Amino acid sequence: MSLLTSHARIVRHEFGTSLEELSRSGHRGTLTSHRDYLDVVVAGRNILKVFAIEEEAFVEKVNLRVGRRTSVNYSCSDVAWHQLDDNLLATAATNGAVVTWNLSRSSRNKQELLFAEHKRTVNKVCFHQAELHTLLSGSQDGSMKCFDLRRKDSVCTFNGQSESVRDVQFSPRDYFAFAASFENGNVQLWDLRRSDRCERMFTAHNGPVFSCDWHPEDRGWLATGGRDKMVKVWDMASARPRELFCVQTIASVARVKWRPERRYHLATCSMMVDHTINVWDVRRPFIPFAAFEEHRDVTTGIAWRLPHDPHLLLSGAKDCTLFQHIFKDAKRPADRANPEALCFGPRGDVAFAAKEGLSANDPARRALPGDRRNPFFFIRKAPEPYDASLTQQHSGSVCSVLNVFQRCDAKEKLNPLENESESFVELAQRYCLAGRPFAELCDHNARIAMELCRHQVAQTWLILKLLYAGGDASPSPALLPNGGIFCGKDGSSGLGGDGMSERGKSEGHGDGGLEEPNEETEGSDVENLTASVGLYAAAAGLYSGNGEEERLELLDQDTTTSDFPEFSLPPEAFALRHEIVDGPAGLEHLQTNGPDGPGSGDEDGTDEGMRSACQGKVGGSTAGLGITAAESVSLISVSQPLFGQTLPPEVFAPAVIAMLEFYAERGDVQSTVSTLIVLGEKASGGVDTLVQEHWYLSYLELLQRFRLWDVATQVIRLSTCAAISALNHDSTSLNLNCSSCRRALGAKGWLCDRCRRCASVCAVCHHAVKGLFVWCQGCSHGGHLKHMHDWLSASPHCPTGCGHLCEYT
Amino acid sequence: MSFPLFSSFLSRDKSVTNALAVKWASCTNVYPKPDMCECVGHVCVMYVAHRVSADHKDLIHDVAYDFHGQRLATCSSDQSVKVWDRNENSEWICTASWKTHCGSVWRVTWAHPEFGQVLASCSSDRTAAIWEEVVGESTDRQRTQSHWVKRTTLVDSRTSVTDVRFGPKHLGLVLAACSADGVIRLYEAPDIMELSQWSLQHELSCRLSCSCISWNPSCFRGHPPMLAVGSDDSSISSGGKVQVFEYNENTRKYGRVETLLMVPEPVHDLAFAPNLGRSCHLLAIASRDVRIIQLKPLRREGVLSQPVSPGRFETQQLAQFDGHGAQVWRVAWNATGTVLASSGDDGCVRLWKANYLGNWKCVGVLKGDGSPVQGDGAGSAQTVPGCANTSGGPITPISGFPILNGNHAIRNRLPCTSPYFLPPDDNLRSASRVNAVPLPVPHPLPPLPHPLPHSAGNRIPSHPEHRITRRMSSNIIWSSHDSANQ
Repeated sequence: MSLLTSHARIVRHEFGTSLEELSRSGHRGTLTSHRDYLDVVVAGRNILKVFAIEEEAFVEKVNLRVGRRTSVNYSCSDVAWHQLDDNLLATAATNGAVVTWNLSRSSRNKQELLFAEHKRTVNKVCFHQAELHTLLSGSQDGSMKCFDLRRKDSVCTFNGQSESVRDVQFSPRDYFAFAASFENGNVQLWDLRRSDRCERMFTAHNGPVFSCDWHPEDRGWLATGGRDKMVKVWDMASARPRELFCVQTIASVARVKWRPERRYHLATCSMMVDHTINVWDVRRPFIPFAAFEEHRDVTTGIAWRLPHDPHLLLSGAKDCTLFQHIFKDAKRPADRANPEALCFGPRGDVAFAAKEGLSANDPARRALPGDRRNPFFFIRKAPEPYDASLTQQHSGSVCSVLNVFQRCDAKEKLNPLENESESFVELAQRYCLAGRPFAELCDHNARIAMELCRHQVAQTWLILKLLYAGGDASPSPALLPNGGIFCGKDGSSGLGGDGMSERGKSEGHGDGGLEEPNEETEGSDVENLTASVGLYAAAAGLYSGNGEEERLELLDQDTTTSDFPEFSLPPEAFALRHEIVDGPAGLEHLQTNGPDGPGSGDEDGTDEGMRSACQGKVGGSTAGLGITAAESVSLISVSQPLFGQTLPPEVFAPAVIAMLEFYAERGDVQSTVSTLIVLGEKASGGVDTLVQEHWYLSYLELLQRFRLWDVATQVIRLSTCAAISALNHDSTSLNLNCSSCRRALGAKGWLCDRCRRCASVCAVCHHAVKGLFVWCQGCSHGGHLKHMHDWLSASPHCPTGCGHLCEYT
Repeated sequence: MSFPLFSSFLSRDKSVTNALAVKWASCTNVYPKPDMCECVGHVCVMYVAHRVSADHKDLIHDVAYDFHGQRLATCSSDQSVKVWDRNENSEWICTASWKTHCGSVWRVTWAHPEFGQVLASCSSDRTAAIWEEVVGESTDRQRTQSHWVKRTTLVDSRTSVTDVRFGPKHLGLVLAACSADGVIRLYEAPDIMELSQWSLQHELSCRLSCSCISWNPSCFRGHPPMLAVGSDDSSISSGGKVQVFEYNENTRKYGRVETLLMVPEPVHDLAFAPNLGRSCHLLAIASRDVRIIQLKPLRREGVLSQPVSPGRFETQQLAQFDGHGAQVWRVAWNATGTVLASSGDDGCVRLWKANYLGNWKCVGVLKGDGSPVQGDGAGSAQTVPGCANTSGGPITPISGFPILNGNHAIRNRLPCTSPYFLPPDDNLRSASRVNAVPLPVPHPLPPLPHPLPHSAGNRIPSHPEHRITRRMSSNIIWSSHDSANQ
């Protein structure tokens, strides 16, 4: 549905003055149906014109305001066109006059009759559907009058005995019945034959009832709209008027009109604020079924053009325009409204509300997995008001299903990694960030990360330890099982290789060369593995060359080309690395350095990795191999100074900073901040303080989200960032009163100068409280957190016996 | 800046580990048993679907967790907002329900708890409203239904207010509201204790009918306040439907800095990912498809913290998924900005996660009605229509695509949370009656207890199968991605 066509379809006419009311013409002929209802009359304070509706425009036919002297009689508040007589019009004037017009008169002045019986403004005129000569009027003076057009005055007067009449409507089914709505909220049902009192009266609205409309088909359904922004549908057939539906709109309702041929559809327009014309399905009272938003000012009159065609709507507004709307072009707020709601909880919960039945038709759609653009979309969005099924779709009210998906591990705690938030909380609580030697902190944190299956993080801790505490980097045997990343997969070879460093030393040199041709044929993936394997061994210092060999053999014997995709890595994985050009020189250096180094077991690993990498470079002619080799060389060249003890730790700083940034970019700010704190001055110098502050703040926000207040406080205390440390100094002044004499405590804070008592005595154990003091804001008694908790879980009263009902939340 | 040492570990250890694990297992004839296969095939985390009978009379348009995830607010076309609290059994109990507006309530959002228990709602009745919770007197022990008091109504809009969002905490109490006539209004409460006073600070025009708005949550001082606005204008010709506005320190105004021309279709929702120390911003967009856009602020060479000309961005589309068939209605990020959830016309929630290569993959499907998803085969490879490749490449079957739904999940509940103490900042306006404040008595924080004895944590699981399971389960997502990335 494009805007272009919708504009072209809407017939629009502009006037120089605001429109008050309009009425479509009556029958022109009974047979030529498309020629039906071709005229519309428009009435306003300064206008009274009849227009012919043509294909693309309104064409003025008759201007009823003629004569030099503009009479107040022509200042219309309402106009009605007789359903049976094409030429018969009636208008209600603001001065209380009711005028009838005969369009068939040949003279310019078409005015026929003038009834000046009402004292005040006539709000409404209404012709009887079946009677040619019966006209009803409702006025501000509170009375309704019935006119016989064959006579010069009213036949009878109905006095509502209440306030001004806003609307009168003949019932389409009951010959004698008409409804009248009043400014005090009442609706009255009258019989034409009884003028002394109404048949029935009830309060429909809170405030004036501006409009009412009988349902064209359902006998006894009356829709009313009032200033209380409500539209109500009443069943008048029952003994007492019963409210069937109630629609809440956003502004006071000026007009209500049932849509022809659609049993539950009701068009409304508002008196102020809202310029749109809404068509409601009264069974779904919250979202309009359709909306016409063309008018720029308040809509004053609406009329369906044909009594049996629900697709053409005429409307006039205070913006001096007259529109003919085609229903197809209406906006559909009900369809545009968001049918789903979704939210991610901090703990990984997902709250999801979806329209009921939205997924019910899902199986049919999923039956075509290749169909990614589902055709259902087009069907649903296509505006097909002619389709009866669409109205069926909107039958009744629509509801949402609200589900909260809570995470839980399928096997208890088997896989904490997946539950990101759980492991976040665990790590936050168990990480040790200060108070111990650096190496110990790293070991501790690595172990904790490993227990929670955060292998990457654990490895990072170990590497950090190795980098910065390289001097005493001998791996403690206790750390071995958890510290090595390979222990799970090749535990037997890794563990076995520990005692066989001597053999590994010799084999590491000898076999590396022998393996090389194999690796070459298998492509770069094995190279990657080999290189990284050697690297792990070097970094973690756990494995001898022996372990490497066995692992390589494993790979060699099992690796077939078809197996490759399982564990090969695409080259993009290494995009981050920088290249080191002088590979051979570094290798020479290492090869000479390696065997001479102090710790032979460690060197072997380094050597092995380096060797295979080196050979990979030599043998590999493809680009992929070259990258691999260069990269592994660079890795080794970074870790090499560990053993030579020649370079200061500043050398690692770029790598460590890059590590910090890597974790931050991945959304794991916990690792970033934890390592930053543990590293302290070692790393913080290289990172911009603003960036550090950002990391700290982000981590603190996460901690607060999980209510880890003490961890947050500790992080603030340990931070090296000035802006973060200052957070703990914000609003820390507390004004305390003594709990016994209720005087302000002085500088001491815990001792009352006046009554010479310790102010913070636990009400349960009567000892002075150090640390957390919990008190009731009602009676100001309190004490140790645990004591108060225990006491108040048993008794609702204050432990001091003051009688206060303390609330512990 | 490249990162030679660590990244090789980080990016590799997963796949290497997994590959070796499989290899080792196969050659030592301890091939994983069927249940382990399942464990490899399916992520070992399940979602338990708790049906909450919301009892709204019409569509629920928005649902919002509060900052801590302990409360939930829903709003509906039935003009009401409901607040749900999680009890000890992690059931959601409706503690308040009230009529908020005269029209459909499109959105509801929580303020940061530092400002109290405050909600904002917006509606098609052209208003936005601020609500604050008032808890009854302490004398009645039964905590009755709390009631929410309307603090103010923001009536500036002439059309339906389609979205309302509180700004990030460090900006103070700021509220952005956008309306269908294409105006974004920024309100501020100068005094956070006086919630009835809101001043209209800025009025931004985005010329297209706005449907959604999102603040950039970054607390980095180098990032000026930023918000993105999505439009549901249906004509393709009106250009990009997502606009980014940024505050300019010099002019003290918000200015449009970016229009994402790559999104020409109506946008129903958008969300900035929580920026936890990242240097760039991630924006998820719900349109005909789900998109993830990265906004990388361009900086002066060498100076990391100094933003140059504000509003210079390098925008890059990281992912585009077509999984929901038709319209995508909502997107939401998890707390760390690593998992994206999206929901669309198919009535499913899909979860997306990036692997270590930055490729976003579908890692789960949740059915809105809790019914099983078709093709729920154990461990069998299946084509998931939702997993379009970011690079526009062929859709790759992802083996071990986890199908999560309530029926198949094991029904166990989260451990109940013990009573806690609200911290001072949370306590500012909350109505708890007992406070915990450290006394001025100097009390050094005791060193954290060592969680495990040094030796106890080092016990190796003796049975090899056990270890394999642990290793493999940790690598599940990655293994599936590795195979998909060939």
